[in-house]
Amino acid sequence: MTAVERIAADTADRPARERLTPRRILPWLLSAVIGVLCVVPFLLVIAISFGRKIEGAAWVWDFTLENYERFFVGALWPDEVTFLYLQQLGFSFWYAVVASLLAVMTALPFTLLLTGLSRRAQAAWLAFILSSLSLSEVFIVMGWDILLSNNSGLPALFKSTGLTQWLKDVGWFQTLRDWGLASPRNVKFKTSQFATILTMSYLVWPYAVILLFPALSRLDRSQSEAARTMGAGGWTVARTVILPAIRLPLFGSTLLLFVFLLGTYVAVTVFAAPAQHTTAVAIYTNIRGANLNAPFGATQAVILLISAGVCLGLGHRLNRWAEAR
Amino acid sequence: MSGLVLKGISKSFGGTRAVEQVNLIFAEGQLTALLGPSGCGKTTLLRMIAGLEAPSSGALLLGARNITDLPAHRRKFGMVFQNFALFPHLSVRENVAYSLSISGVGRSEAAERANRLLDLVQLSAFGDRRIGALSGGQRQRVAIARALAQEPEVFLLDEPMSALDAKLREEMQVELRLLQQRLGITTVVVTHDQREAMTMADSIVVMSNGRVEQVGSPQDIYHRPENAFVADFIGKANFFDGVTEAGGIRIGATHLSAKPNFVNGSPVRVAIRPERACLDDDPGENRMPAKVTFVRDLGPVREYHLETALGPMVVEYALGEGGKTLVIGDQTEVRLPPEALHVFPDPQAAVAAE
Repeated sequence: MTAVERIAADTADRPARERLTPRRILPWLLSAVIGVLCVVPFLLVIAISFGRKIEGAAWVWDFTLENYERFFVGALWPDEVTFLYLQQLGFSFWYAVVASLLAVMTALPFTLLLTGLSRRAQAAWLAFILSSLSLSEVFIVMGWDILLSNNSGLPALFKSTGLTQWLKDVGWFQTLRDWGLASPRNVKFKTSQFATILTMSYLVWPYAVILLFPALSRLDRSQSEAARTMGAGGWTVARTVILPAIRLPLFGSTLLLFVFLLGTYVAVTVFAAPAQHTTAVAIYTNIRGANLNAPFGATQAVILLISAGVCLGLGHRLNRWAEAR
Repeated sequence: MSGLVLKGISKSFGGTRAVEQVNLIFAEGQLTALLGPSGCGKTTLLRMIAGLEAPSSGALLLGARNITDLPAHRRKFGMVFQNFALFPHLSVRENVAYSLSISGVGRSEAAERANRLLDLVQLSAFGDRRIGALSGGQRQRVAIARALAQEPEVFLLDEPMSALDAKLREEMQVELRLLQQRLGITTVVVTHDQREAMTMADSIVVMSNGRVEQVGSPQDIYHRPENAFVADFIGKANFFDGVTEAGGIRIGATHLSAKPNFVNGSPVRVAIRPERACLDDDPGENRMPAKVTFVRDLGPVREYHLETALGPMVVEYALGEGGKTLVIGDQTEVRLPPEALHVFPDPQAAVAAE
C-alpha cells in the first residue's frame, strides 16, 4: 500500500471511529441530562399553569387562560376587578429593588476599602464573607427574627436602656409610629417593610461584595489620584471617576441580586404583614399551602419568571443605550 | 511664589525607609529631574510633593507657605502619571476640562480653555475622540494638557515617557522641554532614564536607596560625579579598585598618576569615562599596554573592549574623532589622562583627608 493509499484509507474510516469514542459522546450526554433537568421542570410548570382546579379536589390537565385572567383582574372578573395578585407582584418588585440597591450601596464602600487592604487581610475577609454564604436563609431569618422581636430583641433593649423614652421626649417616636415602626408603647420592627427589606438586603450582601470585588480590584487607582491632584475631593472622585468606571459591574450586580431576591420566601413570611406578602409566598400557598391550587401557583411562577426576564432584558437594553452614549 | 522647598523629608512604609532626610530646592520656573534606579524612592518623593503620600517627617514649603499637611486636592499640582490615568468614560476634551468642570467653571468657558490647551499640545482635531481611540503619544499629550488646565504652580511628571516607544520618547522629551520653557512652570520629572533627564532638565537630582546622592546641572553630574554610584549610574564608566599612595593610586602592580584627596593607604575606586581614555601615540602619564578583545560599532560611536593590567576596560571613539582603527587581537597602548580620573572613597572603608 502506498503512502497516499494509506492516508486515503485512514481518512475514509475516521468518521465512523470518531462517532464511537466516549470523548465525543460524553459532552452530548451531559448536555442532554442538564437540558432535561433544567428544561423539563420549566415546561411542566408552564403546562400546569394552563391546568384547571377542581373545587374541593385536585386539578386536571387542560388548556385554559382562566388562571392568567385571575392573576391580572381577579377571580371575580368581569363582575368585579381586583388587583390583589398584581399588588403581590408589586411588593415582590418593591422589596427586591430596595433590598438589592441597599445591599449594593452598602457593599460598595466596604469592598472599595477591602481592595485597599493587604492581600492577607483581603483573603481573610473574603473567606469570612464566603463562609457566611453557607448559612441558610432560614438560619439568617431566625437570627434577625430574634434580633428584631418585640420581647427579646432591639425593642426590648430600646426600652430597657431608656432610648424609647428619649425618642418620645425628642418627638421622634411619633415619626416612627407614622412609619409603622412603633406601637403606642415601644418601637416595633415586626411586622414591617423595614425589617423585611433589611433582612433581604442582609441575605444578599455577601453576594454583592463578591460580585463587586473583581471589578473594584481592577479599578485603576491612579485615576482617582489624578482626579485628586486636579482638585477633586473624596465625594467628587467617587461621583466623577469611580462610579462611572464601575457602572457596568454595579448595574449588573444590582440586577442579579434583584432577580435573586424576587424569589425570597422565608424573610417575607416572617417579617412582612400578610397584606404585604409577595408573589413568591403566594406561589407556595397555592402549590403546597392551604389553597392547593397548583395551576394558579404555576401561573404566578410563570409570570414572576417572565417579569424577571423582562427586567433582565430591559437592563441589558439600558446598558447598551448607556454604552452608546 | 519662589520655588518649592523640601526640608528633611523622610518616608517609611512599616519598617522600610523609602525616603530618607531629603533636602531640596526646586527653583521657580526650572525643570528638575529626579533620577535613580527602580525602588530608589523618587516616585515616593514625587507623590509626597503632590500630596498623595504624607511624609513621615520633614516639611514641604511652597514659597513661604508650609503645605506639608495640605491634601492633594487643595495643592492642585498638575500631575502626569506613568500610565497617564486618563478617564476612559470621558472624551479627550472632557478629560482636559475635568479640573475646570469640577471647580465650577462654566461649560462653554471650560470647553474653550480645553480647546486652547489641546491646541497647545497639537491635538485640536482630537477633542471629541474617546481615549481608547488615541495612540500612546497622543494620550501623553492629553495627560499633559489635562494637568496644565488648572494652571498649577508646580507641574509633576511620573515617568511620563515610559509607556512610549524609543523614537516617540525622544521626540516627546524635546517637545515637553520646549513646552515647559514656554510656560515657565516649575516642573519635577521622575525618570530612571539618564538620557531623558539630561535632555530635559535644568537640574538633576540623583537618588539611590531613598537618599539624594548628588544635585547639579546635567553637565556637572556627568563630568563631576561626587561618588561612585553617580559615576556608574550616569553614563558609562570603567571602574578599578586601588589604594592611594604618594603621587597617585596603586591598582595591583600598576601605579596611576592622579591627585586623590585622600591620605595614603586609603582604599579607593577609580573611574574614567570611556570617551576620556585614549588610544593614541601622544606622550603622557598613565600609558599601558592593552589587547583588543572586542570591537562594537554603534554608528555614532565605536567601542573598543580592552584587556589591560588594570583589568577589562572600554574605550569609546565618536564618529569622525579619528583614532586608530583596531581589530580584535590587536596589541595597542591605552592612556588614562590623570585629569580624567575620578577618585572616590571605597564605599566599604574610606578615610577622607582632612
